[in-house]
Amino acid sequence: MALEFKFACPLPHGLHARPASQMASLANGFLSECALTNLRNGSTANVKSVLSIIASDIRLNDECSVRVNGVDETVARSALQRFISHELPHCDAPLADLLRSQPSRNVPRALRSAGVEICPGIAVSRGIAEGDVVMVGNLAAPPELNKESRLDNGHEQERVTRALAAVQTRIHNMLARRTSPTEIGVLEAHLAILGDVSLSSGIMERIAQGRSAGQSILEVNQFFGELLRKSESAYIRERALDIQEIGFELLEEIYGARRDSSVQLDRPSVVVADNLPPQQLLALDRKWLKALVLEAAGITSHTVILARSLGIPALVGVKEPLRILSPGEHVIVDANRGFLVRRATPPAHKFYQGQANTLRHRKATLARHAGRPAVTRDNHRIEVAANIASTDELGAAFGNGADGIGLFRTEMLFLDRETAPSEQEQFEIYCESARAAGKKPVIIRTLDIGGDKRVASLNLPAEDNPFLGYRGVRLYPDHQQLVQDQLRAIARASAFGSVQVMAPMISTIEEVRWFKEQITQVQNELLTAQIAFDPAMPVGAMIEVPSAAFILDQLSNELDFFSIGTNDLNQYFLAVDRGNPKVAALSNVRQPSFLRFLKHIVDEVHRAGKWVGMCGEMAGELQHLPLLLGLGLDEISVAGSDVPVIKERISRLSLGECQKLFAAALECVDVSQVDALLSSNGRNASPRTLLDRDLVLLESDSATKEEVIREMVDAFYVEGRTDDPDRLEEAIWAREEVYSTGLGHGFAIPHTKTDAVNAGSIGVVKLRKPVEWGSLDDKPVEMVILLAARDSDAGGAQMQVFSRLARKLMDEEFRSELLRARDPGGLVSFFAEELEVTV
Amino acid sequence: MKIVAVTACPTGIAHTYMAAARLEKTAKDLGHEIKVETQGALGIENALSDHDIRQAQVAIFAVDISVEGRERFKGMKVIEVPLQEAIKNAPGIFQRLKS
Repeated sequence: MALEFKFACPLPHGLHARPASQMASLANGFLSECALTNLRNGSTANVKSVLSIIASDIRLNDECSVRVNGVDETVARSALQRFISHELPHCDAPLADLLRSQPSRNVPRALRSAGVEICPGIAVSRGIAEGDVVMVGNLAAPPELNKESRLDNGHEQERVTRALAAVQTRIHNMLARRTSPTEIGVLEAHLAILGDVSLSSGIMERIAQGRSAGQSILEVNQFFGELLRKSESAYIRERALDIQEIGFELLEEIYGARRDSSVQLDRPSVVVADNLPPQQLLALDRKWLKALVLEAAGITSHTVILARSLGIPALVGVKEPLRILSPGEHVIVDANRGFLVRRATPPAHKFYQGQANTLRHRKATLARHAGRPAVTRDNHRIEVAANIASTDELGAAFGNGADGIGLFRTEMLFLDRETAPSEQEQFEIYCESARAAGKKPVIIRTLDIGGDKRVASLNLPAEDNPFLGYRGVRLYPDHQQLVQDQLRAIARASAFGSVQVMAPMISTIEEVRWFKEQITQVQNELLTAQIAFDPAMPVGAMIEVPSAAFILDQLSNELDFFSIGTNDLNQYFLAVDRGNPKVAALSNVRQPSFLRFLKHIVDEVHRAGKWVGMCGEMAGELQHLPLLLGLGLDEISVAGSDVPVIKERISRLSLGECQKLFAAALECVDVSQVDALLSSNGRNASPRTLLDRDLVLLESDSATKEEVIREMVDAFYVEGRTDDPDRLEEAIWAREEVYSTGLGHGFAIPHTKTDAVNAGSIGVVKLRKPVEWGSLDDKPVEMVILLAARDSDAGGAQMQVFSRLARKLMDEEFRSELLRARDPGGLVSFFAEELEVTV
Repeated sequence: MKIVAVTACPTGIAHTYMAAARLEKTAKDLGHEIKVETQGALGIENALSDHDIRQAQVAIFAVDISVEGRERFKGMKVIEVPLQEAIKNAPGIFQRLKS
């Protein structure tokens, strides 16, 4: 007797690939048949097949019924029901940042005037690159397919079975050569499709009905492709290409032709395609592949995800690129702004050379900070470390000057795989991290799973309330072997660097004692076996459960350090599920209550003479920096790529002022008061002088007004005076369009009020060759002085200085003095003296 | 001659003050006495009092926007020019005072 139940899909993006694969793997554990019907569109699916589930196009709130029939139907039904009500709601794809980070499509003035053709698109992987267009056509069935002769059913089915196995082997071989989790993830998704029961049974059925192997593959391929393409969800539509690629691989396996060799790059190339299947992207020569231009690829397609992880600039949504562009044509792909540049003129090349220099200099400016300790204006040092989840990220962390690894999330090593990694495998990974860090500390957090993170190899039961359940350190005693394997790997790695170990989800002292006992036991075993380890390896704990915050004096007797995990701590402290849109707004780390709580934690740890850092999301947001310094943390740990800019901003802050700010924040009654405090005082905490020798360019080769303004804007960007040079450029031109700021006598004084600048600033450009500016006296200009004030600074001291400067410029003697300047430092001191400002 | 003047431009960051400086300098060179009120981003500075205005024979408005407190100058001889004119050719403006 079959059992049935109904549910409504709780996922905003519909039942997409990831939850579908979890559901399918659960169903595959039972003998019963599990069928699902989407009551909205009447389509039915086999719950054991990922393809079939996603093909039934289940969208948010769709009513579905599930029918379970077989010997173990009772258990199967309750397992599925449990999964759907408790876990499905938490299974959403973390792709939102892709959608958020789309840059503006504004064409900068300096480029607009360069006489080029702009083809707009959507930037999905940032960067700027140029090269010759190489067209890659759509997937096509091998021509041999039409000439084939059909053999008997058994033989045809045998061909398919062999092809499936061969493609699987080939992907496994590719997998063995990859280390990036993104590449591995995509290849594993392809393996999952190959292993899907609906795919193979669909092909075999068609052969049994009298079709050839090739014909059957094509038909099944088309069937699933169309189902997926019909989906309302872009994410699901974009999976159609993966299936298509696998289908064609099977065909090629059967009929010979290999596709990998079809596209050979031999010079800097921009690969243009309607869409590019992921494996084909991986097969392209990385040395020559400079950028991708795709018409139809979606922003969540595997190809785009791969391009981002490989750092290849990519545009999608460019209109008919295969028709408009010609093979071999030289193009520039600007995936910082979201367009393609054709017929680049010398001014356009000059613009992009300038861009390359600017980006390099900005990086170098930040890199100056990256390599140094993060020290405030009043000489207070705070460590800025990096969070990593795999050894892939070590390069970015230390390349960006991280003072250590503040959090190595090891659970990523356990997710998405059938069996746990061995001790040796883990040892090699931890060891690589320790070696890369040299003398810098590496804090390795032991496995933190449960809650929203599931590990197949542990076979954890579903729970009513996973975040309050069996997770983190709480499941360690039941998985002692797993914990000891990991601790042994970490202890062994401690012989090769400054390794520290940290336990997740600590809420009582018993958990700490148990954890430490395991470490002692492991270390004793290593001692007996005469294997090297660091006996003084520091042991710490995450502070993410509020109870731990009230026994810090006791925990400090057992532990060496603490790290605050703000995401969980905030959610447990305020009793808010961040994933629930109805209450998510409450979970704000700037709640005054939470700030007071943090203060309590830091004070308690310091009273006990121990070290405390912060590794949650709160640590990585620039706006929080003054608060975090005021709070008194010893360390913050952030994404590796953010280390330089955070160090730069710290160098502009003063601990004394941050402490005052934090004390004031503790007295605020709500988040909006804290925010108001941050936006007013936050800026005062990082004052900058109006003048800076790096904003004085005395040997400019700019040849047009557009180039001069761009050059200044770029200098502002390099010095961190603007984070949006294109917007600043627009603001300057908006004023220029009222009437030219060329005031005659070879001078121009462009000016603007805009919050596109981070601080009021004066920039100076002296030109080697005078430039036409549309001046009052119709003569070209030799010197350009840019005045940029913040909107919110209007009426303030900076405007006073600007007005004094404007008056002085009417004085011939003052102008001649400026033109005589030979070095930026001299010019800055001359300005400072004349305008009565400090520099 | 005693002269009062007002300078004002749309953004009020630079040209307002350049024009004021230019008018002051030119007046001095030509032996006139002048007081220039600036209406810029800093608000009204060097404001003209009723006394200043009553004493003056003529007012110069070097402006690209409308003058605030225009009624103060009612019944008075006013020469209004685009602000750029004051920067480009201030002596030319003073020439017109004679006519």
